Amino acid sequence: MLQTIFSRIGWGAALLLLQVLVFNHIHLGGYATPMPYVYLLMILPGSTPRWLYIVTGFAFGLTLDIFTSTPGLTASALCLCGLFVPLLLSLFSPAETDGEAPEPSARAMKWGPFSRYALFVILLHCSAFFVVEAFTFSLWPDLLLQIASSSVLTLVFVLCFEGLRSSR
Amino acid sequence: MYYLLEFFRKYHYLLLFVVLEVVSFVLLCRFNSYQGSVTLSAANSTAAAIGGLYDDAKAYFQLGEINADLTQRNLQLQIQNEQLRERLRQLGADSSYTTRGVAQALESYSLIPASVVSNSVTMRRGGYLVIDKGAADGVRPEMGVVGGGGVVGIVYLVGNHHALIIPLTNSKSNVSCRVRGKDYFGYLSWQGGNLLHATLQDIPRYAGIKPGGVVETSGYSSVFPPGIFVGRIKAVNNSADGQSYALDIHLGTDFARIRDVAVVATPYKAEIDSLYHHAQEAEAQMSRH
Repeated sequence: MLQTIFSRIGWGAALLLLQVLVFNHIHLGGYATPMPYVYLLMILPGSTPRWLYIVTGFAFGLTLDIFTSTPGLTASALCLCGLFVPLLLSLFSPAETDGEAPEPSARAMKWGPFSRYALFVILLHCSAFFVVEAFTFSLWPDLLLQIASSSVLTLVFVLCFEGLRSSR
Repeated sequence: MYYLLEFFRKYHYLLLFVVLEVVSFVLLCRFNSYQGSVTLSAANSTAAAIGGLYDDAKAYFQLGEINADLTQRNLQLQIQNEQLRERLRQLGADSSYTTRGVAQALESYSLIPASVVSNSVTMRRGGYLVIDKGAADGVRPEMGVVGGGGVVGIVYLVGNHHALIIPLTNSKSNVSCRVRGKDYFGYLSWQGGNLLHATLQDIPRYAGIKPGGVVETSGYSSVFPPGIFVGRIKAVNNSADGQSYALDIHLGTDFARIRDVAVVATPYKAEIDSLYHHAQEAEAQMSRH
């Protein structure tokens, strides 16, 4: 249990550094920005209380915001993800868990369900993030392009991280 | 209360989510200039829209009061309009001048004011007027009757309290008239049709008559004093025999809506009539001899 907590804290720190130092500087075509920090919420153990998902999302988002001088932007998007990630996890986890909490990993869920789980979480996060950032629907074609391209790019990184985590 | 507490115990994360989202948005609008300005302008627009709705509602509820004011104002304007219309009608017909002229001409005559109580004047066959004064009021047959617009007609039959008038617009009517400024006279008669039009016969061709001239009583009959307005010359036509003019006259009195009149009690009528009577008697005696 303690190992899991430290592991997640380690992942959080690594994702924070990667986002601030690397991913925030990537803007493919002026639209696609990878935001794989949402991976931290995705890999929280299935037994985590729902309020902790929300608090983790808010705190982690606010920490990222402090580095990017956008207070509240990532926090609100990750807070929303924190509300829905447990639901999506239980939706895509295999049914035969014998009453145990679902394990959010490609090894436990298989790659297909995990990919779909990741895709929905990432879509939710990117949608919330870019809508709050734009704060208007008047430029909706650009908004849709940003959400779609960033979601795809983020999904690639998230699957890479999951591959790295599963291989250990 | 129990269910409320139970709800919060079960779904406390939802409350937490709402609180943290609110905190996020407060931070977002407080420390991000773009989102802050958008929120501010949206709030202003919303406030303006609500203010507009409030004003609309207020104006709507004031409509009753405005309607009452408008009704009262409308009534005042209608009365004013009617007064102005009446004034314009009087000025247009120059009846103030006519009334003054008639009053001056009748200064030395006694007038018996009366009201028309029955009016059977029609465009087809003329007709009669009945006034509410009769023999008891001093009205006698063959007295003249005048109105605000000038000559009206001649008393034909007299009862105790009513009298029958032959108006100018009766084919039996025949009043001696002249053109003002000229001493030539003729007889005014009515041929039916328009109640405002009559014909002045027997005006000599050399009299130099022009349309627009005023036609007034000549005073040659003992019925009317001279100079009472009758009408204006509308057109100058030749008579049937071509020897004289037959003038189309636009009458000053509108017989279709006449109401207040006065009977002219000529002071010299009895004297003139007795002279005629004596003359007729003398002629009769001479013829017998």
